[in-house]
Amino acid sequence: MVTVILKDDNIIVHTSVGKSLREVARKSGASMEFGCRVGDCSTCIAKVIRGKELLDPINAKELLVLEAIGTQDDSLRLMCQCSVTAMEGEIEISYFF
Amino acid sequence: MSTLGAQVSDSVHFIGVFDPKIRTFDIIMKTANGSSYNSYIVRGSEGVAIMDTVKKEFSQEFFLRLESLCTYEEIKYIVLHHLEPDHSGALEELMKRAPQAKLIISGRAVMMLKGIIKEDVPFETANTGKIISLGNKTIEFLSTPFLHWPDTMSSFLHEEKVLFSGDVFGSHYYDERLFDDEVGDFSYAFKYYYEHIMRPFKQYVLQALNLYSRLDIKTIAPLHGPILRTNPQYYLKKYEEWSSEDKFRKNTFGKKMLSVFYMSSYDNTHKMAQVIMEGADTIDGIVASMYDLASLDEKNMIDLLEESDAIIVGSPTINGDAVKPAWDLLSCMAYLESQGKIGASFGSYGWTGEAPEMLHERMRWLKFRLPVKPIKIKLIPTQEELDECFMFGKEVAEITMGKMVEMEI
Repeated sequence: MVTVILKDDNIIVHTSVGKSLREVARKSGASMEFGCRVGDCSTCIAKVIRGKELLDPINAKELLVLEAIGTQDDSLRLMCQCSVTAMEGEIEISYFF
Repeated sequence: MSTLGAQVSDSVHFIGVFDPKIRTFDIIMKTANGSSYNSYIVRGSEGVAIMDTVKKEFSQEFFLRLESLCTYEEIKYIVLHHLEPDHSGALEELMKRAPQAKLIISGRAVMMLKGIIKEDVPFETANTGKIISLGNKTIEFLSTPFLHWPDTMSSFLHEEKVLFSGDVFGSHYYDERLFDDEVGDFSYAFKYYYEHIMRPFKQYVLQALNLYSRLDIKTIAPLHGPILRTNPQYYLKKYEEWSSEDKFRKNTFGKKMLSVFYMSSYDNTHKMAQVIMEGADTIDGIVASMYDLASLDEKNMIDLLEESDAIIVGSPTINGDAVKPAWDLLSCMAYLESQGKIGASFGSYGWTGEAPEMLHERMRWLKFRLPVKPIKIKLIPTQEELDECFMFGKEVAEITMGKMVEMEI
């Protein structure tokens, strides 16, 4: 199992490989905001404090968003674009950063 | 005075339009004496920049003002600080008339631009620090997102110290005398605009004020209402004061506030509310309070919602729905920031009992944290059910105080 810690909501979710962070957020009642849900609007941008290597790699849409907001910080991810790719480990996420 | 091209500073003229008859803006705002859609032209030695456009139906008047001050061939830049239709309504036509002009928008506005102009048009994006030149005039951009749309940015004309602030510092106040020292008393409109447009985004207001603080601002040119030229610092301080006010209860007690709002037909939902509040109040650091929605007006609702860290709403189910005051309460969240607030719902019912689940779903869309499932009780609660309500209130209060919630998904 992979543990996803949604730091700002005091929520710990134990989940499995392949699960999208969007589903984790929705089912856990987290306050993470989503807009378009397809990686265009950047509403769901959040900081992966640790465990970014347990998620699928940053994609072209996310790179465009990082460029638009003027940063190269690859720990900033669009939550609608991320799924768990590892079998175990801990991922900590903050969306008020 | 004639405002056809009224001069704002040496090289800046007003080319906006007036809408004296509008009485409701953006559905949620009353505009007792109308409004204006402000637009500006900046002239430099090497061309002009048009700062925003106007609502589409006022395009003709806008172009008339623009043509009185420049030719379309002279336009080097079109800057859109915010793409809401009241400022982008004449954009498409302006780009047709001035095809050589470069459109400047914020990064977050890119997708909105595609939603407004349904074909690809050339543009450049601007972030804090980007500078454009009109020869002897320099315009610097500042990212001021979420004021009040994600795309909002500001810009500063360095040589004349004019801040183009977007909707920040706006007022829905029609007065063709245009400048703050010449128009009537617009103080109510300035505050009303802040409360209805900027209040949900206080943290972003403070971020923007931090950016503005390094500028020596002489004039603020907003997108609605009077141009602020007499004492810009006064308006900056007002925004700072309103955005950093300590919440009344926090200020007084330094504790977290949990509010239970309810309506009751036969006292059953009231009984649940009472026990939920008592359960919540057992947790250190929580001040729990209870309010009958039948006696709260909208202003009270907004203030209480803003102060509350946790909001628990109770409603009976009548004809398959929660009662109107419960919906009215949640509709007040349009004026507030809900991110981070904890929500929960409950209610007694006779037949079907949909209300708590419906309120829960509504709060989900309002971006509340919803760590506990709604609780519903058929008709008169038993002692066992009241004990469950007590634990429900206690659980919400513990989570409000930082207790981690663990689950498997």
